[in-house]
Amino acid sequence: MYRYDEFDHAFVAARVSQFRDQVERRLTGEISEDAFKPLRLMNGVYLQLHAYMLRVAVPYGTLDSRQMRKLAHIARTYDRGYGHFTTRQNIQYNWPKLSDIPAILEELAEVEMHAIQTSGNCIRNVTADHFAGAAADEVADPRPYAEILRQWSSVHPEFSFLPRKFKIAVTAAERDRAAIQTHDIGLQLKKNDQGELGFAVWIGGGQGRTPILAKKVRDFLPEADLLSYVTAIMRVYNLHGRRDNKYKARIKILVHETGVEQLSAEIEAEWQHLKDGELKLPEADIAAINAYFEPPKLAPRAEGWGELAAWKKSDPGFADWVGRNVAPHRHPDYAMVTISLKPIGGIPGDASAAQMDAVARLAEEFAHDEIRVTHEQNLVLPHVALADLEPLYRALLADGLATANAGLITDIIACPGLDYCALANARSIPVAQEISNRFGDPARQAEIGDLKIKISGCINACGHHHVGHIGILGVEKKGAELYQISLGGSGDENASIGQITGRGFEPHQITDAIETIVDTYLAQRSSTEETFIECYRRIGADPFKAALYSSEAEAA
Amino acid sequence: MTVIWTQDGIVEDDPWSQPESEGGPKLLPLAEALDHAQDNAPFGVVLQPADDVRALAPILERVAIVALTFPAFSDGRAFSQAMLLRERLGYQGEMRAVGTVLLDQVPLMLRTGFDSFEVEHAPTIKRLAEKRLPGIDLHYQPAADETRAGPGYSWRRTAMLNG
Repeated sequence: MYRYDEFDHAFVAARVSQFRDQVERRLTGEISEDAFKPLRLMNGVYLQLHAYMLRVAVPYGTLDSRQMRKLAHIARTYDRGYGHFTTRQNIQYNWPKLSDIPAILEELAEVEMHAIQTSGNCIRNVTADHFAGAAADEVADPRPYAEILRQWSSVHPEFSFLPRKFKIAVTAAERDRAAIQTHDIGLQLKKNDQGELGFAVWIGGGQGRTPILAKKVRDFLPEADLLSYVTAIMRVYNLHGRRDNKYKARIKILVHETGVEQLSAEIEAEWQHLKDGELKLPEADIAAINAYFEPPKLAPRAEGWGELAAWKKSDPGFADWVGRNVAPHRHPDYAMVTISLKPIGGIPGDASAAQMDAVARLAEEFAHDEIRVTHEQNLVLPHVALADLEPLYRALLADGLATANAGLITDIIACPGLDYCALANARSIPVAQEISNRFGDPARQAEIGDLKIKISGCINACGHHHVGHIGILGVEKKGAELYQISLGGSGDENASIGQITGRGFEPHQITDAIETIVDTYLAQRSSTEETFIECYRRIGADPFKAALYSSEAEAA
Repeated sequence: MTVIWTQDGIVEDDPWSQPESEGGPKLLPLAEALDHAQDNAPFGVVLQPADDVRALAPILERVAIVALTFPAFSDGRAFSQAMLLRERLGYQGEMRAVGTVLLDQVPLMLRTGFDSFEVEHAPTIKRLAEKRLPGIDLHYQPAADETRAGPGYSWRRTAMLNG
């Protein structure tokens, strides 16, 4: 993984002292709260319902054990003993004191971490496929390009006061695990016929109150042109993105209102002036950043094949866990392991300090010291020998980290909702917990199969409900919480926006409604092989609506 | 009180901030500036964020100062206008930030090519007068300011000493 050099260390140290000075000036009243707000947001500090919240960047979701231990230490020392992993591969602390935040940032800097641009109307933490560097289907590791973008976008003088936040995601496989079509810029690393690397470039995806999938503006942008082309996009957006209404300020609205052909022509015209300039990436620089992401040397461990078969036979719980949470690695003797942060009835994405320490220890012992955070709010150990799966499973089990539900109905994405968030209209966490409890039986989950439920507590859609196979949106109606359901969304390479079923459901009805939808799917599917999303795409929304609203009088 | 600040300090008797009634030259909006280009006297231009700076290209040689407006500190369009003026149009004259100019934005303004600042906010004036800017001297990207190549990678820059 990337390691800071002296320049990076000095930069982050300078950024910490800059923020310390800003906090001091805020406390003496030299800066108004109004003017301080964007400054603290650009360092990840939110003011939430009950307290400040600090969002720490995990660039492209990659951590080592030293960093994970530091995150545990911060949870224990400055917070209430836990942290919350987010849909943008970051971690949030919900209870830090503002006066402690400069000290937390100094602690983070010791392990080459920061909270720079995890919020604010600037270029946010760049995300990537959580299986990068291990997946068999990628053309190359996308993370070096995410790192180049991370560096280039840090305290960018031209792009720190954009119309709205700006999110970039990078993937390197046809199978999109980074949800690039829901990002302001989505980049798919690919190879052309000559074997050269470049990017398909997508712009204008986003969720919020106007969900729009991104449009492709380039089929193959040579890798050397990455920064100049992104600069051209950013400049056109900074100059022309709407600033009269924050709900219409994302680049998706500019793309929609201008038209992708015209906007793309403006970007190309701007890029003509930039493409041969200082931002052209020299091959040597790309190679030097790539060298940091050399895969670990994986020794042959063929004994794991036989052992794995025997272990699975003797322990059905282990077999279930392997079936759900273990994916093939490009090295046949190894696997990629998903550590579920979705225990049945738990809070999606939360991890205690003890669990973070356990993951750090296990990453060192079994996984070449690499950990990933996924946008689905789980953790991944990307390089585990098949021969180590059983002892790893035992250890995870002991720390409550072996829930075998990756991709199942209880692997729910949920935003913090009204329990924490100042923007929320409704609670998300209790809804997730109740659904998780209702469907927690392993046999029932297995029967239902792949099904993504995503829950947002307000229209800002942090819980990605628009791209949930089943999306749940909490709204407020006449002072009470109400939950709208949408169906058929997807955030992968076949991305789609879910369609609202109709009238919303009260808190005590929502889990029943989800059960009605699930039962309808089970009754309608052509075979056990047909997943929920496949079935929905075949039969459409009507059978689900009929089931949900048939007893209209009774429900009302 | 509004002052004009540059990296040399607070500017006394800045002609462009004298009231017109006292004989000060006028900063012209874009449309007027384009009409005015036939006159011989030097003139200044004040642009709004929605103005296309490239319209100035034919008359830029005769412009003595360009003021770019920040209607609010959160409106960052003038950063891109500044980059276009310096990098695309090659403008080398004075470029002034007007509107809401606050301390924490000044280092970013300097990087994008601004060299004078009309400041009203008293705590900002105090810190600028003391030359205590809150900027970072290490940069991960080229901009319009004078910098040295940074170590490691082509996109990095470091501030000029005593810049």
